[in-house]
Amino acid sequence: MTSLMKNPLVVGSGVLALVGAGVYAYQLMFGLGVTGMNNSTSWGLYLTCFMFFVGLSAGGLIVASSASIFGIKKYKAVALPAVILSLTCICCAGVCVLVDLGGIQRIWRMVTGLNFMSPLAWDMIVITCYLVINLLYLYFMCSKKADPAKVAVVSRFALPVAILVHSVTAWIFGLEVAREAWHTAILAPIFVASALDSGLALLVLALFGLRSRGVFQTADELITSLAGLLCTCIAVDAYFIGCEILTTAYNGTEGGMAVIDTLLFGGTAPFFWFEVICGLAVPFCLLVFAKNRRNMKVVGVASALVVAGVFCKRCWLMFTGFAVPNIVGANGITLGTTAAQAGGAADMWALMGVYAPTVPEVMLTVGIFALGVCAFTVLCQKLLRK
Amino acid sequence: MTRLAIGVNLRRCIGCNTCALACKMQNNVPDGMLWNRVLTEGCEQFDGAEGTYPHLTRTYLPLACQHCENPACERVCPTGATYKDDKGRVEIDYDKCIGCRMCMAACPYNARTFNWNEPVRATGAAYGDARVPERGRGVMEKCTLCKERTDEGEEPLCVRCCPADARVFGDLDDPNSAVSQLRRDGRAEVLLEEKGTRPQVFYVR
Repeated sequence: MTSLMKNPLVVGSGVLALVGAGVYAYQLMFGLGVTGMNNSTSWGLYLTCFMFFVGLSAGGLIVASSASIFGIKKYKAVALPAVILSLTCICCAGVCVLVDLGGIQRIWRMVTGLNFMSPLAWDMIVITCYLVINLLYLYFMCSKKADPAKVAVVSRFALPVAILVHSVTAWIFGLEVAREAWHTAILAPIFVASALDSGLALLVLALFGLRSRGVFQTADELITSLAGLLCTCIAVDAYFIGCEILTTAYNGTEGGMAVIDTLLFGGTAPFFWFEVICGLAVPFCLLVFAKNRRNMKVVGVASALVVAGVFCKRCWLMFTGFAVPNIVGANGITLGTTAAQAGGAADMWALMGVYAPTVPEVMLTVGIFALGVCAFTVLCQKLLRK
Repeated sequence: MTRLAIGVNLRRCIGCNTCALACKMQNNVPDGMLWNRVLTEGCEQFDGAEGTYPHLTRTYLPLACQHCENPACERVCPTGATYKDDKGRVEIDYDKCIGCRMCMAACPYNARTFNWNEPVRATGAAYGDARVPERGRGVMEKCTLCKERTDEGEEPLCVRCCPADARVFGDLDDPNSAVSQLRRDGRAEVLLEEKGTRPQVFYVR
């Protein structure tokens, strides 16, 4: 415990997480009105980060379970940090959904009156299964009677559930007929692909971090091998996005062009182009050469770019969906925000989707990221140092 | 079966906003939001016009919950707070709403409004019909088709108050009702038919 308290990373992230908890208390007191969300853009930074964390959680579990299922022996070496990373990220994802709820005091209704038609209901069930599998996995790997046979059984469930958890998260958005930008069958494959690349990239970054702190040593050859896998996943991700953009744009339909205008030239364009250039093209061009994959600095830079790129993708996915209402006309949508309450007619309306995160919203989000860093560091120090 | 519905004759609508305010009064809708709003089609200014001079038109579109037969909001609600009732209205059980806003993302008409804050009213007091239940912070709300009035055989207040007689209320399952007759008018149409929600609210252009 004392060694943990001396670790500046644990202390720093712990403090930030506590600040986040304080901001959450503030949000509970005053309501979701303290965020930038409104009636035109009813989901914001919290659910964007939810998508991001669910994705990040994949890479770890998929590497760990495929080591066991497909008998890839070299990946077994990193299975333990990979599962710890996966567990931390899925917990952060859960926190993101909970802080987004306006009526958390009534959340027990999810147990007593669950509507099985709702993708959010599926998500709750699948994420719970995923969490349990992560915990079982960790238990079987770390207990004194560590049993490879049990690990093998759990991994056979872990891989399909890992893919399902990302698909169901995609369906929360992809099944909404109201939102042209989301309503596409390829959304679930896109989510799985970007989960694979961002999750793998984060695993590589985490392994670098653990190595630099002397907690856990990973051989360069293994990182090189993971980088090769990462490169393939980036290519698949880019391919799916290309398919979607082409299908949306090709016929020039009214709804399709509204999405394309927003995404390529409008409000979400900076996120889209950052992802395409810095999150897909540049890391792919770096990692496609075997020589670069052996250079740990290049692998590190490429991984960081992929993670940042996928975060931007979560942003453009989310906000393109809200950008243009289906029925456009003056004065538009009543916002229902604090400004709308106070400012009268002038601040009450929006013709198009509007959103900017507020300071408390950003602080709470930073707190959730810090909670993840803190939990990952503590768990690694406890479980990896033997 | 009963399928309560509203038909809006856009040729009679003069864009006076009486329906929007009648709704706000009746249902105690707090500041910063409306359940029923009147849009001016195809322009960025209220009371603006569509087209290029001298070929200008102006059409008002009163917009609220469409009380769809196949409601996208109902399917996605994880707790069953949004439901289709026995009179064919889409209603919300405020006690069950956890404020996840799935329904808001699902509604193609942006008909729903959320209580992001503690509801406030410029009057400092509730002004709605005493029969209308209170909604608190963190709860979704929208047009109920004036549940409390229509349960007792009264018209929704927006229909009652429309000075241009542009709004007709009734049961679509009764072929002789005024609303069914208007629905059979060749010019009757629903909004965003391609979304497959089958609205019970319809418009005559």
